[in-house]
Amino acid sequence: MSFIKIHDVTFGYEHQPVLKALSLAVEKNSFWAIVGPNGSGKSTFLNLLSGQLKPQRGTIHIDDKPVASFSTRRLAGVLSMVRQEFVPVFGFSVRQAVMMARFYKRKTALFEESDDIEAVESALAATDTMAFADRPLRTLSGGERQRVFIARALAQETPILLLDEPTCHLDLKHQVRIFDLLRQMQVEQGKTVLLVTHDINLACQYCDRVLLLGADGTYFQGNPEDVLDSQRIEGVFHVKGYQGLVCREKFFIPLGNFSKDRPKE
Amino acid sequence: MILTPAKLVFRTGLAGLLLLVVMAGCLLIGSQDISLQKVLQGPSIEGVPNSDYEILVGVRLPRIILAAIVGAALACSGVVFQAILRNPLADPYILGVSSGAGLGSIVAVLLGWTWTFWGLSALMVASFIGAMGTVWLVWSIGRVTGRVHVTGLLLAGVVVNALFSAVIMFLASIAGAKKFQTTMLWLMGSFAELDKMAPLLASGVVVVLGILFILMLGNHLNILSFGREDARSLGVSIERTCFLAFGCAALITSVAVSFSGLIGFVGLIVPHAVRLVAGPDHRQLIPLSALVGAAFLVIADAVARIVVAPAMLPVGVVTAMTGGPFFLILLIRYTKTIHWGQS
Repeated sequence: MSFIKIHDVTFGYEHQPVLKALSLAVEKNSFWAIVGPNGSGKSTFLNLLSGQLKPQRGTIHIDDKPVASFSTRRLAGVLSMVRQEFVPVFGFSVRQAVMMARFYKRKTALFEESDDIEAVESALAATDTMAFADRPLRTLSGGERQRVFIARALAQETPILLLDEPTCHLDLKHQVRIFDLLRQMQVEQGKTVLLVTHDINLACQYCDRVLLLGADGTYFQGNPEDVLDSQRIEGVFHVKGYQGLVCREKFFIPLGNFSKDRPKE
Repeated sequence: MILTPAKLVFRTGLAGLLLLVVMAGCLLIGSQDISLQKVLQGPSIEGVPNSDYEILVGVRLPRIILAAIVGAALACSGVVFQAILRNPLADPYILGVSSGAGLGSIVAVLLGWTWTFWGLSALMVASFIGAMGTVWLVWSIGRVTGRVHVTGLLLAGVVVNALFSAVIMFLASIAGAKKFQTTMLWLMGSFAELDKMAPLLASGVVVVLGILFILMLGNHLNILSFGREDARSLGVSIERTCFLAFGCAALITSVAVSFSGLIGFVGLIVPHAVRLVAGPDHRQLIPLSALVGAAFLVIADAVARIVVAPAMLPVGVVTAMTGGPFFLILLIRYTKTIHWGQS
C-alpha cells in the first residue's frame, strides 16, 4: 500500500493544460526527484500535493485520506514545504522564522515550550545555519536563506518533505550538503522526500525514483537510471548531450551550438 | 532571542509605567495653572466649589483617558493592517478604514440615531459597519488589481479614503452651517467633545478586549507576514485569521473614530517605532504598540491643548504634521529596499 496515491489527476491554468491524467504511487520513505522543462508543471505538482491547488479531475490521497479532507493545521503536521520565492517584509531573525514551524503543534498557547526550542536548535545545527541564527533573514545570501527554509521544514517534523528547487542558489558544496541532509533524513527519520530540481545529475545520484514531466502533459516515472537516459532527456528537453558513467554514477552533459563539442546531427 | 512570558510581562510593564508617567505629567500641564495641593482638598473647599479639582478631574482626566484609549486602538489596528497586508505603510487612516467609520458616524448623526445601550451608542455601531464595509471594499479592489498586491491595496485605500472624505464633506455641507463647523472639527480629529464618563468606560473595555483578542492572534500574524502560501503550509487558516483580525481592528478603529474623528498616522508611526526598538514579533509588538500609541496620543493632545492656548488645535493636526513627513521618509526607504509585492 502506498503512502501518497495520486490518481488520474488533471490540472491546467486558463488556456494551458499542465498535468494530464497523472497517476503516481509514492511509497513511504522514498526519495523522489521531479524534473522537467520550465512550465511542465513541477511546482504545480507540489502545490497539488500540498493542497494549495485543487485538481480539476482526479484524487490525491495521503495515508488513504483525501488531501482535501485535512484541516490546514493537520496538513501542516503531515507535509512541510520549501518554496523558491521569499519576500522579506519585517525583520524576523533566522531563529524566529524557524520557530514558526512549531506553530501547528501548539493549540492556543502563545509561547514556545522547551521541546519546540530543542527541535529548532537541532534543525539549525543540521542545516549549518546556527552561525547566523540571530541575524535578520533579509541580510542573508540566497543560499543561506535557502538553508534556513530547509531548517524550518525540518523543525516542522513532518513525515513528508516537499522542496521546490532547494539547491538553486547554492554553491557545489552546499548542493551536495543539502542532498546529503535530505538523504540522511530519509534514512534516519524515515521521511518521504519529493523535490523539484533542474539538476539531473544530482537527482540521478541521490534519488530512488524520478518523475519526469514533459510538455503536453506526458510523464515518465521509474528508477533514475531508466527514466533519465540520454534519448529521453533529448526528447523532453530538446537538447543533445553526452551521457556517461564514471564508476557507479551516471551523468549527462548538455551540448549547445557553441560548446567545444557540437551536438551531432 | 525567543520571547518568553517573563520577558513579555517585563517589557509590557515597563511600557505601562511609561504610559502612566506620561498621563500623570499631561494631567498637570495645560493652559490653566493648577496647584496639586488644592486639587487634593477635594471637590469643594468649605462649601465653595474647588475650580482646580473641577478642571483636573472633570475636564482633563476624561480627555486624557480618551486620548489613551484612542491611541491604543489606532496603533494596534495599524499593527494588524501592516501584518496582514504585508506592508509597513498600511494604517487604518491611509487605508480609508477611519473615513469609512467616520462616514458611518455622520450618517448616524444625520439620521438622528441617538440610542445608547450600556454605554455603546448608535454612533459606534454605525461607524463599525462603515469600517467593516471599507475593509471589505479595499480588500476586494486590491484583489482585483492582482493577487492581494500591496501597491494595489494601498492605492485602493487612498482612493476610498478620498472618496469617503468627500462624501462626509458633502453630507456635512447639506446639513447646515452649524453642523458643518462641528463636523469639520471632528473630521480633523479632536477630543474636545466629551462630558460623560460612562461611554468612556464602555469603549475602554471594548478596546482592551479587542487588543487582547488580537494579541491571541500574535503567532498567526507573525506567520502571515511571510505570505499566504507559507502561512498555509505552516498550518495557519488564512480566511479565519484575516476575518478575526480585520474584524477586531475595524471594531477598535470605529470605537476610536466615533469618539474623536479622523486622527491620522498614529497607526503608522507607533508600530514602526516599536518595531525598531523591540523587533517584529507580534506577540510583543501588539501590547507595546497599544501602550506607546496611547502615550503618543496623550502627548499629542497635550501639545494641541497648549500650543495655541486659550484656543485648541485639533489633535489630528498635530499627528498629521508629525506623521506626514515620517510617512514620506518610510516610503522612500522602503521603495529602495523592498521589491514591491510578488517581485
